[in-house]
Amino acid sequence: MANQVILDSNLSLIYDMGMDINGKPISKRKSYNNVKTSATPDQLLQVAQAIASLQTETLTLVERSDTHQLTV
Amino acid sequence: MAKTLELQFLNTEGKSVKINIDSPIEPVDTAALNTVMDTIVSANIFFSTGGDFVSKKGARIVERNVADVVLS
Repeated sequence: MANQVILDSNLSLIYDMGMDINGKPISKRKSYNNVKTSATPDQLLQVAQAIASLQTETLTLVERSDTHQLTV
Repeated sequence: MAKTLELQFLNTEGKSVKINIDSPIEPVDTAALNTVMDTIVSANIFFSTGGDFVSKKGARIVERNVADVVLS
C-alpha cells in the first residue's frame, strides 16, 4: 500500500467582502506559509482567530492546505 | 491606501521574521496586539530558516502608495 508524508502546510484565512452586483458573495484569501506540519488544528484556529481580531474584515473560513508526498 | 500591520518576531537565531496582517483596525489596540503576538509565539505553528519564533520584537503599520506615471 502506498504511503503519504506531509511535506508542507499552509494556513489560509478567508474573509467575507460583501456581495457583488449580481448578489454573489465576494471573498478574499490571505495565506500564511511556513506552517509547521506538526501544528494541531486547535493551534491553527487559535492563531487564525487572533490574527482576525486585529482586522476590520470578517473571517468566514479558516483553511489548512497540506502538500503530501506519496511513496510506495 | 493599502495598509498592513507588520508583526515582527525574533527566531532562535536572533533574526527578525514578520507576519503581515491586511486591513488592520486603526488605531491599533496595543493590549490586543500584545495578546495576539503572545498567542502566535506560544502556539508556535510557524517555522523560519532560522528556527522557531521565540520572542516579540515589534510591530508597525506599513502603508503602500501607488501612483501611475503617464508614458509620453
